[in-house]
Amino acid sequence: MSVFSDYKKEIMAAAHNDRIRLALSRAIGSYRANTNTALQKFPHTIKMAEEVREIKAKAIGEMEKLAQQAAEAIEFNKGKAYIAKTADEALKIIENLVGKDKLIVKGKSMTGEEIELREHLEELGNEVYETDLGEFIIQKLNSRPMHILSPAIHVPKEDVAELFSRITGEELPPDDIGRMVATARKLLREKYFEADIGMSGANVVAADVGTLFLIENEGNIRLATGAPPVHIALVGMEKLVPTLNDAFKVAEVTWRYANYTVPSYVSLVSGPSKTGDIEKVTTYGAHGPKEFHVIFMDDGRTELAKHPVLRQALYCLRCGGCLYECPVFAVTAGYFGDKYFAGIGAVWAAMISHNPEKAAAVAYTCLTCGRCKVRCPMEIDTPAMCVELRKMLADGLR
Amino acid sequence: MANDDLVPAGIAYLVGNITSKHNLLGTSKETGARWAKDLHLSRSAETIFFAGCGYQYSSELETLLSLIRKIDKSAVGTELTMNLAGFQKKLGIDAAGIFRKVMTRGSDTDAQPLKDAVKVLSNLGIEFGYLAEEEPCCGGLLHFGGFHNDFAKHSQEVYAGLKSRGVKRIIGIVPSCTYTLRELISNSTNGHDLEVRHFCEVVAQNISSVKLRFPREVKVAYHDPCQLVRYLGLIEEPRQILRAIKGIELVETDWTKGEWATCCGGGGGFEAVFPELSEILAVNRARELAETGAEIIVTHCPGCIMQLKTGLKELKAGKIEVLDLAQVVAMAMEV
Repeated sequence: MSVFSDYKKEIMAAAHNDRIRLALSRAIGSYRANTNTALQKFPHTIKMAEEVREIKAKAIGEMEKLAQQAAEAIEFNKGKAYIAKTADEALKIIENLVGKDKLIVKGKSMTGEEIELREHLEELGNEVYETDLGEFIIQKLNSRPMHILSPAIHVPKEDVAELFSRITGEELPPDDIGRMVATARKLLREKYFEADIGMSGANVVAADVGTLFLIENEGNIRLATGAPPVHIALVGMEKLVPTLNDAFKVAEVTWRYANYTVPSYVSLVSGPSKTGDIEKVTTYGAHGPKEFHVIFMDDGRTELAKHPVLRQALYCLRCGGCLYECPVFAVTAGYFGDKYFAGIGAVWAAMISHNPEKAAAVAYTCLTCGRCKVRCPMEIDTPAMCVELRKMLADGLR
Repeated sequence: MANDDLVPAGIAYLVGNITSKHNLLGTSKETGARWAKDLHLSRSAETIFFAGCGYQYSSELETLLSLIRKIDKSAVGTELTMNLAGFQKKLGIDAAGIFRKVMTRGSDTDAQPLKDAVKVLSNLGIEFGYLAEEEPCCGGLLHFGGFHNDFAKHSQEVYAGLKSRGVKRIIGIVPSCTYTLRELISNSTNGHDLEVRHFCEVVAQNISSVKLRFPREVKVAYHDPCQLVRYLGLIEEPRQILRAIKGIELVETDWTKGEWATCCGGGGGFEAVFPELSEILAVNRARELAETGAEIIVTHCPGCIMQLKTGLKELKAGKIEVLDLAQVVAMAMEV
């Protein structure tokens, strides 16, 4: 039971941290205002979310088939595709592709967090840069992400100024957010072009054509997946949908509920960079990566998909909306959770990370108040999943 | 039965009370029913008023919770989730003694919402009985705590008990009991033939037959209990009732109302596992409601009442009153 005690200590320390609460209350206010605006401006999103729910519910039942199909499409596009049954297998595949002493620029990826990809690559002797600003701050603080979209949601600007002052040796004023952003840009700019490898996840993948959708605002993913000679993408199998048309719908609903009318960038990547401009001879590695590798990872997902109640955890689009509606998250940030946050994080802890102690702690932290479900475009019933988990845990996770 | 290592002691404690004593607090059933001893309600009726543990034991639960919170804030607080009994020993707390004191506390101010609910229903011409000591605990916490085998067994007993007493219709008042009786026990007994309605549904339906005026002009904010609004879907009924009362001006929170209402922090046994965190959430919700400028916060759940009172006290906004909807309607009928 020490997991519970440690967890409770940590969560209570967070609950007493006024800075976390301040940062979150600002974030919650602007999330709600932005999402309301986005949904009012594009009211078709609500109907589209219902459609996406059906697409996901069906796709989750046939992930293996879709992964196979996507892998074939990617190979057809002259990329390389791999299907990894476990986290270890995925790490092994990536390890073989990367080797050691490489410079790697990385986009933010929850799936990467799930298997501790960055730590693993660093242990192998590679230099890894997180390029998402929030994730970069987290990496430099030696902390862990606290929100799926805004990993540094719990870090107020004063702390960022202090951190960047320490790194650059220049005094950064705590009110000049513009200068902090410019500092990160300067620190990372050259890395994209020096990097041997760029890494990313994907928000959704169209299985028929093998296209990865990468949604972002900063532009770091475009650079990280465009500038280096090699692009490696790690994708959880729950991101697969049958067609390109389905994938567009998933993408639109995702960003709308992530509080954007439209994000600055959506990259669609289906294969390596190529040109036929000289005598129609197809040559790979024009301006973008010469090599494109995609790893579709199962890591317990196909098992999870068989569970009648818990399978809905796989419908999650990672828009992050639920987190802004959770009264516990509002005072604790991602300390309420494991690798994935808040109530739904308990399902991942139990079924993917196989950590019943942590899963129990998180499942019993859910108020079962149900406001997350009201927000969720997929209507994921997190309270029902937490109650289901409590049942399974009380019975010894059978 | 359970994998004790994974179930927080706070939950295990409450669950033990339900399975051994058939009420949340593990006390005698007579204690629970004492509020109604002068009301002369029939014990056998086709329609019964289901009072529930929450209101019947509210002062006991309040005292117990404040004790647990004090302990939780102390240095060894994090161990509370591990083993309540062992940890009481460690602190040298005489749990049994405190418990006795709690139990013998006067109950005159207790269960006012129940007395008022009975009055309101009677004034509306509704006929109903009350099972008193024979009223079962709904067992909802067994479900929410994860004790599905216990809950399945308990459901059968509750259902059989109600049937054997000739009950056909139930008017519930505690949101979670009402949800448990209506949905969970129905699911667990393969669909039952009991008609379960919530007090506010019954009142809303009959409200036009009476004139209601609150004793004074007052600004009222309504707090939606989670189980009432998101589990039972009763958003309009309480508001319809409040709007029908002359003298009451209903004010609402900006965004956190209806299906978007913020939980008071007392859900599903949470307050027994994270007593201190639960108090922080109570303060947050109380603040949202206090910001409306309301003089009275009306809600409709014994857990929410307890939480909001605690929250307001912490905010030093104790002059804002917290009342149950049943109390407000009863007050409006007096004039």
